[in-house]
Parts: sequence; structure tokens; C-alpha cells
Amino acid sequence: MAEEILEAPNVVEYPFSRTTGPVVGAFLTALREGFVVGIKAADGSVIVPPVEYDPFTAEALTEIVEVADAGEVVSWAWVAEPLADQPLDRPFAWALIKLDGADTPMVHAVDTGGDPAGISTGSRVVARWRPPKPAGSDEPGPGLAEDPNPPRAYREGHILDIECFVPEAS
Amino acid sequence: MASERVAIVGIGQTEHRATNDGSIAGVVRQAASRALEDARMDWADIDAVVIGKAPDFFEGVMMPELYLADALGAVGKPMFRVHTAGSVGGSTALVAQDLVAAGLHERVLTVAFEKQSESEAMWALSVAMPFQPPMHAGAGGYFAPHIRSYIRRSGAPDHIGILVALKDRLNALKNPCAHLHEADITFDSVRDSIMLWDPIRFSETCPSSDGACAMVLTNERGGDAAAAEGRAPAWVKGTAFRSEPTMFAGRDQVNPRGGQECAADVYKQAGIDDPRADIDCVEMYVPFSWFEPMWLENLHFCPEGEGWKMVEDGVTQLDGDLPVDMSGGVLSSNPIGASGMLRFAEAAMQVRGQAGDHQVPDARTALGHAYGGGSQFFAMWIVGAQKP
Repeated sequence: MAEEILEAPNVVEYPFSRTTGPVVGAFLTALREGFVVGIKAADGSVIVPPVEYDPFTAEALTEIVEVADAGEVVSWAWVAEPLADQPLDRPFAWALIKLDGADTPMVHAVDTGGDPAGISTGSRVVARWRPPKPAGSDEPGPGLAEDPNPPRAYREGHILDIECFVPEAS
Repeated sequence: MASERVAIVGIGQTEHRATNDGSIAGVVRQAASRALEDARMDWADIDAVVIGKAPDFFEGVMMPELYLADALGAVGKPMFRVHTAGSVGGSTALVAQDLVAAGLHERVLTVAFEKQSESEAMWALSVAMPFQPPMHAGAGGYFAPHIRSYIRRSGAPDHIGILVALKDRLNALKNPCAHLHEADITFDSVRDSIMLWDPIRFSETCPSSDGACAMVLTNERGGDAAAAEGRAPAWVKGTAFRSEPTMFAGRDQVNPRGGQECAADVYKQAGIDDPRADIDCVEMYVPFSWFEPMWLENLHFCPEGEGWKMVEDGVTQLDGDLPVDMSGGVLSSNPIGASGMLRFAEAAMQVRGQAGDHQVPDARTALGHAYGGGSQFFAMWIVGAQKP
């Protein structure tokens, strides 16, 4: 028998993949479709993003509910000098945003055009969505591409399917 | 020093598979729910949670225990994370047992898991370390020279590893939770499988699995209550950990002193003078087939150099005199972080008489064994059907 030589690429890197499960999976799928969902907790409150198990009673949660893609800034921090791989390349805010219909705030970026005066606690913001992915598009997805944070042109089931939030009035 | 007696009253595990469709939280939850159900308990009945897994790097979630608190009903309760590489599942169970033995908690849930599908553990074990030559060979490449050394020292014939692999994979056919169910496996198919890291063939190495294991441990009162309801507990008769440095120059990696001393300690606690005679079955951590004869010697079941003869004589078969790895072992399922706890849980299942088709008749005393890192972390427990 001829000697069989095993060959395998040995690129020393360490990629991860994630099995999201039924709840986080529902959240990411909704983002891809252009809307936001949360989950109803045992006490009737709506948690966004949704969690699989009730934070107080530990029971498995299953009731997915849609919430608005606009809401109120609960708290925020200004990023005067954005770093590479942050969602925006000009000064912006990280904010805790309580979406209409949700009882818990969610972290995301807010783009005020670079002006910190454009955001305040209690101000209203709305999601700026990326466009849906056209059929047949081969734009890179998140994950295993050589660039660990490839630019995302389209929605593909990722938290950055919402490019950022913007003040509601603008 | 006086301590509480400890009983295992609930055991649960996932069906170990290449990919579990649940999230990490979903996987640990499944095993924990099954353990609670087996113990006839609910989340509120648990006083503390002890969780273990192999390095965080394996899934890329740092300190996953923090976010898993909700899934394990641990909010507002003490929760501890244990980390001793591949032996972690065993060490985690031992920390849980210590909390009960110390009288700190009455009912402790212990859980261990791994989702190998979320990463590539082979390369996580091959990352270049500062000031050390990179091996880029994975666990098999690390352990193959130890096995070579064992074969040279003991004069064991080549087919011993094949016999172990065949036995474990046939045992796995009796275990619905096992990852590999290779109904058509034969001596020849193992022998003819490709050589990965000489002398370790493909069929002599463990798979990459997703899975979790969980147990509920309680004190004497809880154990007696379960027994009174006709649900026999497993009683802990001895526990021991040992570790030694990976690169210590005088270290014997074929027959590590840490493992020998750990075994001697756990036998002494359990009142075992002759492990071969006094122990009914052993579930040991065998990720590569040859570790069965190596650990038989390390655990004092035979004189040094003769472990392979026990394998060749069929002693470790499911119907042998000292069955080893009744569940199919790590060779048939390897959710790394859970693998040590699965060994401990199988030992407990055996003495509780709940091992189904892989039950050893009349198993009264069983050894659960785990090792990890570069054969440097050891964790063991002896469990019995009789209260100590």
C-alpha cells in the first residue's frame, strides 16, 4: 500500500463560531429582517436583547415579542477619539437605549454628526439600518474573513445590522 | 477532622454530539435540568452552584459562568468556577463535594461543559508559548511520545491500543448519550484506520464533542431521604486532587507521581487495600487508547509494566473482572470540560444501578478518574452503594 501523506493547512489562528440557540437566534434573525425583538420575562417585563432564562426565576423564556426600533437614551458616554473597529469613525456616543416596548436598555452607538450636544439623557433616537442583502450578493459576512471586523454592507444577522442610532428629529 | 457525608442524588447529561444546536447556556441547562429531575428537585432547592470547563479560549467566552448564572438558577446564590484543564470536570465535582462535606451547603449543583463545535481546540492546545518551541501538533502530538515511551518500557505489543479502542467504542453502542456509535467497528477497522500521531491511529483517538454533565450533591440527610424514596444515592467514600508542573525536569510523564499519590490517597480514604479486588469498575480518562494500560498501572491495579496484560486478557471488558470505561469513555465522547465529570458521573451511576445497558452487575464500589493538561492534573473519587 502506498504511503498516504496527510496534509492539512496549519494557519495559527483561532476562529470561533457560535451556535446562537432559539432565543438569541431569533434576535439576530429579526435584525437581518430589519426589526428588533425582545422576550417576555416571568414578571411580564420585556427584555431586549432577549435572554434564554429568566434572570430572577431561572425559568426558560419563550415568548418573543417585537419592539420598536426607536427609543429613549437612558445613559451615554462620549467617544471623542474613535478607535479602529468601532462602529463610527467620527466622534460618537455609546448609549444605553430603551426601545419603545422594552423594559431594559440595550447598548448601541449613537451618531450625532460628531456633536456631543446632540445627545442627552432622555433624548429620542432611532435605528439607522443597513440595507437588506440583495440576492446573490457575496459581500463578506462576519466571522472568518481575514479582516476580523470586515465592513458590513448589508444586514446579515449581526448587532451591527443596525449601523447606529441617530437623533429621532434629524 | 469530622465532615459531613456526601451523597450524589441527581445525575444528568446531554446526548453528546459533534454539534449541539443549543447555545452554551442551552447545553448546560439541559444537563442541569436532567440532574435536578433525577434528584426530584427544582432550581430553588439548590444552595450553591459549582461550574467547570476547560480554558475559556476554547469557546472564546471569557468567564462564561457569569452569563450562565441565569441558566443555572444561580442568581443570588454562591457560584464558583473551577479550572484544571481536561481534568476540570472531576475537580469541579470535588469542589462541590467539599462544600457539602464542610457543611457550608446542603444541596449543591455541579455542572461541566464544552462546546467544541464553537472552536478548534486542537489549535488552542498548540499556541506557541513564550520561550518554548511551538509544537503545532495538538494533544495527540503531545501524548504520542509518552505512549511510545510506555511501549518501549513495557514491551507491550502493538495491538493493545486497538483492543482498548474497540472495547470502548463497543461499550458506547450501549450508551445512548455517547457521541460515537460505530456499529460496524471491528479490530481490523481500527487497525486499518489512518495513523495520526504514531502510534495513535484515528480510531484510537477521542472525538470533538459538544456536551455537558451535571450532578446534585447533598449531605447525609438528603442522601437518606433519597434512599427512603427508593432512589439509591451514590455515597462519596474518598476524594483527591494532585497536580505537578508540566515541564519539571524529573517528571515521569508515563507514570506521573501526581497520579500515583492521588490514587493512594483516595484508596486510603475509602479503606481500599487492594484496588484490583476491592473496586468493581473504573471509569477513567482515556482520550487516546494507550492511556488505559498506562493508567491501570498509575492507579495501582497491577504492577508497573503489566497494564497491557490486563487489556490483552480481557479484564477491562464490560463483562471482565474489572470493567473500565463502561460508558464508552472519552474515546467515544469528548466535550472536554465535561469529560472529567462524565467519568465521575458514570462511576456514581454504576453504584446507583442506573447505567442501563452498560451497567456492571452488582457494582458496589467504583472509581471515577480524570486527568488534564500535560498529564499533570489529577482528580479522583471513589463512590459506593453503601453509606461509609
